[in-house]
Amino acid sequence: MIAIQKEDVDVGKLIDAAKQLGTGAFVIFDGIVRDDDIVEMELEAYHDVALKELKRIAEEAKKIHNLLSVDIIHRIGRLAVGENILIIVVGAGHRAKAFDGCRFIIEAIKAGVPIWKKELRKNGGRWVPGEHQHGTGKI
Amino acid sequence: MKVKVRFFARFKELLGTDIVVDAATGIALNGLIRDIAAKNSEGYDEIFDENGTFKDFVILMRNGKRIDSTDAPQTKIEDGDEIAVFPPVAGG
Repeated sequence: MIAIQKEDVDVGKLIDAAKQLGTGAFVIFDGIVRDDDIVEMELEAYHDVALKELKRIAEEAKKIHNLLSVDIIHRIGRLAVGENILIIVVGAGHRAKAFDGCRFIIEAIKAGVPIWKKELRKNGGRWVPGEHQHGTGKI
Repeated sequence: MKVKVRFFARFKELLGTDIVVDAATGIALNGLIRDIAAKNSEGYDEIFDENGTFKDFVILMRNGKRIDSTDAPQTKIEDGDEIAVFPPVAGG
């Protein structure tokens, strides 16, 4: 499952659905809204482009790291402290591939998927600055 | 010709989004965005420097594909194009 959605997901169900012959390990990344003195986090996506990019990253990760399954669910909308923002479930034959694949995916998402976060505080909001990218030059 | 311009994140707050404009034939990407952004000085200043050039961090897409901002003056807009303008991404 690759999705950008408001709703949360059941990680256990994702793992159960992804189990297949040959699976020896799952690595799960769960990015959550941290209590940085904020009230809520608001997330926005360039939906069609972001979804396409998530699918491309999943396929690339499968090829490079020989993964058996990849699920990525990125949430949008308003999220409270402690809520899930991003769930990545990576299945592979062995742990090393699963860890490497999961790391590859989260770093690729951070680097180039058009999604933005705004921290909402009692006295206003602040867009979280991106860690990567530049308007000039190719990524 | 009809063109859709989509701003995101802070740019969207200042300039709106899903703006459908009747663009002049032959207009380039930088000219199109400059004309729209000129309606809000704060929005304009977020995107363009004092020379009217895209600031380095501004990211452009045309129909879902990245356009190097230095190529914007040579990028001619076509009927039905969807242009996206946004700051560095911060998902995850």
